[in-house]
Amino acid sequence: MSYSVRAIYRASIIFGLLALLAASSSAQDWIRTGTGLGVERVRLAAADFKGSNSDAKNPELLKTFNEVLWNDLDNAGIFDLVSKSFYPLQEPGQPSEVNSSAWGSPPPNTSMLAFGNLGVASGKVTVQGWLYDVKNTASPQVLGKQYADNATSEAVRVIAHRFADEIIFRLGGGIAGIAETKIYFVSERTGHKEIWVMDYDGANQQPLTKLGGISLSPRISPDGSRLAFSSVTKNGWEIMMYSFDLNRVISFPRFGGMNLSPSWSPDGKLAFSSSRNGYPNIFTIDGSGGNSHRLTNDQGPDVSPTWNRKTGSQIAFVSGRSGLPQIYTMESDGTNVQRMTDQGYAVSPNWAPNGQFLTFSWMRKYGPGEPGSNDLYLMDIASKQWVQLTHDSGRNDFPCWSPDGRHIVFQSHRSGSDEIWTMLADGTNVKQLTFKGSNTQPNWSWK
Amino acid sequence: MAAISNIYSEHAGLGRPFAWSIGLHIAFTAFVILYATYIQGFRGEGWGSGGGGEAMGATLVSSVPLPATTAEKTNVVATESKGLAKSEPEPVPEVEPEAIPIPDKDVKTKKVKPAPVKTATQRKALPEPEETNKIPYGQGGPVSGPYSMTAGNTKGGFGFTGSGGDFGSRFSWYVQGVQRKVTENWLKYEVDPGIAQAKRVYLTFDIARDGHPMNVSVEQSSGVPSLDQSAARALQRIDTFGPLPPDYSGSKVSVEFWFDYNKK
Repeated sequence: MSYSVRAIYRASIIFGLLALLAASSSAQDWIRTGTGLGVERVRLAAADFKGSNSDAKNPELLKTFNEVLWNDLDNAGIFDLVSKSFYPLQEPGQPSEVNSSAWGSPPPNTSMLAFGNLGVASGKVTVQGWLYDVKNTASPQVLGKQYADNATSEAVRVIAHRFADEIIFRLGGGIAGIAETKIYFVSERTGHKEIWVMDYDGANQQPLTKLGGISLSPRISPDGSRLAFSSVTKNGWEIMMYSFDLNRVISFPRFGGMNLSPSWSPDGKLAFSSSRNGYPNIFTIDGSGGNSHRLTNDQGPDVSPTWNRKTGSQIAFVSGRSGLPQIYTMESDGTNVQRMTDQGYAVSPNWAPNGQFLTFSWMRKYGPGEPGSNDLYLMDIASKQWVQLTHDSGRNDFPCWSPDGRHIVFQSHRSGSDEIWTMLADGTNVKQLTFKGSNTQPNWSWK
Repeated sequence: MAAISNIYSEHAGLGRPFAWSIGLHIAFTAFVILYATYIQGFRGEGWGSGGGGEAMGATLVSSVPLPATTAEKTNVVATESKGLAKSEPEPVPEVEPEAIPIPDKDVKTKKVKPAPVKTATQRKALPEPEETNKIPYGQGGPVSGPYSMTAGNTKGGFGFTGSGGDFGSRFSWYVQGVQRKVTENWLKYEVDPGIAQAKRVYLTFDIARDGHPMNVSVEQSSGVPSLDQSAARALQRIDTFGPLPPDYSGSKVSVEFWFDYNKK
């Protein structure tokens, strides 16, 4: 009797577990959504972080942290940052202090809130940061992070960049933020054209090379370990290589003739323009300088190659084979050459990280009597449709995409001298990064 | 031999009734088919007497063609569905003649007097267009909110229970991210430029744990191949939507995404 009861009991438990399993496996979450529902930027409030203790160093570090975080979020291009004047008087430093209704309703009317605290204790700084979905009272936390480092403003800058990148990664559809990326460029501020580096926001500008001659076209490798550039040597223009492991220029094969404008493929090969056979043509080599291949074979100078950063299977370049320089594309083995621009004077192509777009500098009307303005354009490779990104603002050249595909850094003469500027890829939110001397040919790191 | 002749004679005797029988059968079958194709077909578009806010109130329909809504921006609730209204000529042109005589003199107003009778009859017809404003089956859900979630096996149906799965309510920021990203990657110029407006195309896909879209398929075509393709290509351009929220326990989320194309 008791045996059969136990058997029934056991069977019912097994059956129940099976039913539970079946239910959980069939519980499939569905999202149903579509276009035309209004795509807006995320409305985000970034409350000033608070001091978590009363250390004397807190105010200074907090100021740096709050500034950097705000600027990073503002620069991201995906947020509608709520002005600080709308914020409730009591800003939270801890999750328990968040008043969701005050933040989620007008005037701030934000949907996301970033907040946290910072504290220095015995030379170490600890930062706690949260991201809350304040319109979702049931489970508001989207992100919670804690960072610790030495209590220097340098370290705090990095922490702010990291936290901003976390927020951007979460809310920006899985694309990593660019707050920790670098921009390499040519600066003449020491009297020579040398390669310099700075943070993506223009901070920490430092020289890399001290060759004393002319160095141009800095191109950082996809893994960030090396930088290729072209420089004048005794034998003319050659491709040079700077190693970040050794922090110096390392030896690299010399090819003879004029070797210019190197470009990295996503898998670490280099394309560049070389006139070793008489006319400037496009060549490829592997990362160590061996295995050279000639891709183009014509008289018209072929220069400024740039790889399709997504696939690595196409190269865009500038050629003068039909007269004025125009943008062409070809497969990475040199076949299937196609002309992309149909008129004017087009140079400096750069391929977008998604592989769909080229940006380049174009004087659409060029010649006597034509008031050619030198502007940046964006072209969809597949359809050859283009959009003008800069308008009425001096000479603009050398566009280069950010790794997130949302920004473009470029050189512009709009301020009266050549300086480095950034903008969102739709041409808005233009910001000047350099102010001293002449700064040209920016190149954004791959990550 | 005798047996054969017997059969032959019997067959000859039953010939007429058989012919009648076959004829009536054919007629009945034809009637059934015609009824099913035409009359049933007309009704098929108007499925959706159920309604109000609860879209699930509608009954099941035999045929699968789900209501392909044209995205009317002016009135999101209205559809092209003729089913609920009688297919009558629009009363609009008759409205103009009554408007003209009003400013004229006394003599004419006498003539006009019968006109109000006409307008009264017209107004009887007016309620019918209102019926088309009822929310047809399945369209109540998406209209009432930007997105709706259902758990379980409502796939293929357009019934929104509203609060089935909790993904949307817990991670609305993720849902908005998906919506934003797909919309950004949809290049409208890939659609045949000759098309001014098209029916909605529905895609379904899954988002894996690491955020990459997979199993993209056109669930309901718009009838315009280039539009279907542009929608599918929007998904192809997307490498990732970002990893699913860490707090979410499921291994994937399924998405049904519609694209409304309007050239304007």
